[in-house]
Amino acid sequence: MAAENELQLWSPQAANAQRAAEAAIADVRRIEAKYSRYLPDSVTTRINDAAGGKAVAIDAETAALLRYADHCFDLSGGRFDVTSGVLRRAWDFKRKPPQLPAATALADATRLVDWASVEWSGECIRLPRVGMEIDFGGIGKEYAADRAATICIDHGIRHGLVNLAGDVRVLGPQPDGTPWRIGITHPRCPGATIAGLDLAGGAVATSGDYERYFELDGVRYCHILDPRSGMPVRHWQSVSVIAPLCVVAGSCSTIAMLLEEGARDFLDAQQVRWLGVTLDGSLQGNALAPRAA
Amino acid sequence: MASAGAAVAATRRKRRVRSVRADAGEAKRNAQAGALLAAALALPGMLPADAHAQAAPDQGVIQLNYLDYRDWQPGQARMKVESPSFYALYPVSDTLVVEGALVYDSMSGASPLYFNVLSGASVGDYRTAGDLKVTKYFGSYAVSVSGVVSSEQDFLSRGGAVAVQLFSDDRNRTWTFQFGGNSDVINPTNDIVVDAKRNTLEFMVGVTQNLSPTQNIQSNITYATGHGYYDDPYKPLDTRPNHRNVAAWLTRYNQYFGAYDATLKLGYRLLFDSFGSVSNTFEASWVQALPWGFTVTPALRYYTQSAADFYMNPPFFVGYVDGQNYSADTRLAAFGAWTAGATVTKTFEKGWSVMFRGNFYRQRPDWRLGGSGSPGIESFSARWLEVGLVKTF
Repeated sequence: MAAENELQLWSPQAANAQRAAEAAIADVRRIEAKYSRYLPDSVTTRINDAAGGKAVAIDAETAALLRYADHCFDLSGGRFDVTSGVLRRAWDFKRKPPQLPAATALADATRLVDWASVEWSGECIRLPRVGMEIDFGGIGKEYAADRAATICIDHGIRHGLVNLAGDVRVLGPQPDGTPWRIGITHPRCPGATIAGLDLAGGAVATSGDYERYFELDGVRYCHILDPRSGMPVRHWQSVSVIAPLCVVAGSCSTIAMLLEEGARDFLDAQQVRWLGVTLDGSLQGNALAPRAA
Repeated sequence: MASAGAAVAATRRKRRVRSVRADAGEAKRNAQAGALLAAALALPGMLPADAHAQAAPDQGVIQLNYLDYRDWQPGQARMKVESPSFYALYPVSDTLVVEGALVYDSMSGASPLYFNVLSGASVGDYRTAGDLKVTKYFGSYAVSVSGVVSSEQDFLSRGGAVAVQLFSDDRNRTWTFQFGGNSDVINPTNDIVVDAKRNTLEFMVGVTQNLSPTQNIQSNITYATGHGYYDDPYKPLDTRPNHRNVAAWLTRYNQYFGAYDATLKLGYRLLFDSFGSVSNTFEASWVQALPWGFTVTPALRYYTQSAADFYMNPPFFVGYVDGQNYSADTRLAAFGAWTAGATVTKTFEKGWSVMFRGNFYRQRPDWRLGGSGSPGIESFSARWLEVGLVKTF
């Protein structure tokens, strides 16, 4: 989570807010250390290092996250696939000048995206083929935000905001009772907002094509990749989702990007509020609020 | 563990092979309303502690009960007990609960002996008892401390216990560990002993597991070890061991049937007593919700025990050997017993409810399971009627 994180808490007793913040931050760090795919001793790394080998024992928390990822997989018709991280090997978004991956490299990577073949239970997991990987992108950070909020609530905090790199979970309204106003990043104008969403509880998360991408011959290739083809999705510049929990908002926004034109029906079925920015820059969805000043 | 995991995965894989090929249209059909939120709520740490099932009770309770008990043997009324009791639970804060009970029993008549030779042994007594329990909830666990005192004319008992409950992250499983002790002083009115002592330590470990939203199971094992005075001072020649160990295994299963708005409760207890007896208890009840706030609960229980090693069949003092343990107390005999009863509860507005309960108990030697009952003893019957008034606030 090498990104900007923010915790705002209100409590009549400063010491209590301090304790809550310390506990919440400790838990966010714990989850990052446990699931980061960059750290050599994380759960994710252990699972990936054993790909094609023996099953790796997992704890109840990891099993719960896998179970949730499995729901996302089913509900997205297989588009949300925690094994799709291997596609990053084929795509280099930093390369100058940009270049599309070779067809063979893309085909090789796509063959390793296969959550359906993963053997897992509440106690262990085994990635059946060498080279397969899982990661908790779209779930892990959002799960951490929700847990941080729960920890603060358990400390008696009734007004607060947890922001983990743009995935926001709020605990009740602001101290004066007004909702939090969350600015939605403009997908084409860095630093500007395209809309404001009012939030007195729950969470908002945004997934977009602007975080990592390159343009080639007038076409934008973003880092959100369809697991079937290995190719970047199109249709949306970004999708923001408001849901009671950040983990739901985060996974719904990612799934919406992946489902492209199928996103509307999916989001409606999940009964979330959402705001999508289409490729031509128009706003869609049921969460529109007047643009922030 | 790995092979079990693979087996689970193998059964699940077929479904996935299909769904991985699915297109967005299928995704739409698969998307039950709000399914992801429901799935996310199963993640640990999503709900604040005060939304958990095991959060401290947030409602206070005051309960008044009155019990009327009679027992008899053929042709002879035995004992009568009239017993008012009071119970209260008070949530001091979101995480702290205090509860306590007081009971006063007044007993009259002859105690249920095979026969009664001491003129002073006819019971005309009262008992007062009270207990207090404080429970503090700490999110994933809770700690309780309790104390109990019971006093009769010839008997004083004091006890205390500490219990720890551990709640699983999903709140579907609770482990309970309890450690307690009791210290009793016996001063029989016939002065056969003075300030006789009896001390008991008790250990309990239990687990409650929700199997589904409509089923749960509870199982616990209790071991109690005591030493001191166990004789019945009012029964001549009664001589029992000065130590006693009891191990019991209790399991309960509850199943809710939505179609009937009713719950079936089943229970079984197996108990080993170092006095030599083994008992089995089977019970079943059906909690039926009815219109207008009524609940009716018929219940049936069967109990069977083998005799204690030192229980001697009548006639009196046959088998008595000086210096060896001996008892003619028919409660230590081999017998079986049935209890049938029903409870009717009516709930009113503003947290009031009224309860009536009736139970009939009958024990006979020939109702024993797995062996013949002790010969030469009469059947024994009892009934108890109970009325209660409850207010929650």
